[in-house]
Amino acid sequence: MNERFADASDEALGQLLAAELPRYTAPARLRAAIVEGAAPPPRRRAAWLAPALASAATALVLVLAFLPLLPRTPPPDPAQRLVRAVVAEHERALMWGARNPRIIPAALPWLTQESGIGLTRVFGGDDRLMPVGAEPVYLDGRRGIALYYRDGDDHLVTYTVLPAPGLPVPDRRRVQIERFRPALLHEEGFSAWVWKQGDLACFLVSDMVSEADLERFKDYFVRVRTATEPVPAY
Amino acid sequence: MASGEFERHALEHLDALYNFAMYLTRNPPEADDLVQETYLRAFRFADRFTPGTHLRAWLFQILRNTFLTFYRLRERESAIADDGVPDWDAPMFHDAPEDSSSAMEAHTDLERALRRLPEEFRTVLLLAEIEGMPLEEVAFVMNCPVGTVKSRIFRAKERLRALLRDYKQK
Repeated sequence: MNERFADASDEALGQLLAAELPRYTAPARLRAAIVEGAAPPPRRRAAWLAPALASAATALVLVLAFLPLLPRTPPPDPAQRLVRAVVAEHERALMWGARNPRIIPAALPWLTQESGIGLTRVFGGDDRLMPVGAEPVYLDGRRGIALYYRDGDDHLVTYTVLPAPGLPVPDRRRVQIERFRPALLHEEGFSAWVWKQGDLACFLVSDMVSEADLERFKDYFVRVRTATEPVPAY
Repeated sequence: MASGEFERHALEHLDALYNFAMYLTRNPPEADDLVQETYLRAFRFADRFTPGTHLRAWLFQILRNTFLTFYRLRERESAIADDGVPDWDAPMFHDAPEDSSSAMEAHTDLERALRRLPEEFRTVLLLAEIEGMPLEEVAFVMNCPVGTVKSRIFRAKERLRALLRDYKQK
């Protein structure tokens, strides 16, 4: 029976898929639950509502009047926005990340399958950085890969790759490190090296923010950057 | 909150969304939750929908984004086994009942092959071939260019054929 699928042309395979795959119908209780959930709750007007609304409206008018005078936070540029997402993921790994030194070599095919990003070469750790885990990530609407390393002082270092064609790496934040010029961005008390490899944006995040730490963080960047080659897999 | 008319139009796509959710989650209770969450979000953000554009694609996009954001995040916590590799063959949704007819056997292999595809490949096939969506709508749902959709469909079918050939040899 599989012959007609396995040897079918593209068009025929599409037709067979439409015809042969079972189609699941939503159970009636699901429709009822959705309709029920969409119905507005019964309205009850409390005695205290009118004065409360009046106070809130007055406060809103005052806020609007003084809004132009308030300090504004400019919207982050695309690189900073991605760094924010990557740092949030790094923080999550700090809190709950599993440590499994066997993960990186074993999980690579699965990571590629899940993320659409392949690693033709990967930094598998050395005497300074030990691999502790790897997982696919979904950040800022993009799928990517995160590899986690830990150094001798227990700093977690997260290497993240995300598809980001057209992402500008901020020029004024660039730092010359050997033959590379990544940008150094800061977010929430963490440092992040940001660089591009083709259409992929790469990030190396850690909590190494002091001047002394920065030299070591540069060294980690070189180790990871020279040994890792991410490519779009599909 | 959504108007009655918007809700009525949105609910016309319930079965299609549920079918899509079943193939994404492979689990009826999770498909229920996913569809319910999709409608909850659609009704809550109905004002962001531009009337006259494709409601169906908009709903599918919400469903897929919800799946990727919440379900995949949860799945990945448990997906990495001790050796770092997930168990691909672990059954994730109820198989169709046993049946001796050849048609049911084909269903099983085809479904098995489909669910082994990466999510992007599975989704393009489900949207383009099963739901019959135009490529532009598929691109909208998947937030990628139409050219990418075309290439994913091509490669998804190639992989599907390869998997089915494997099953045939076994």
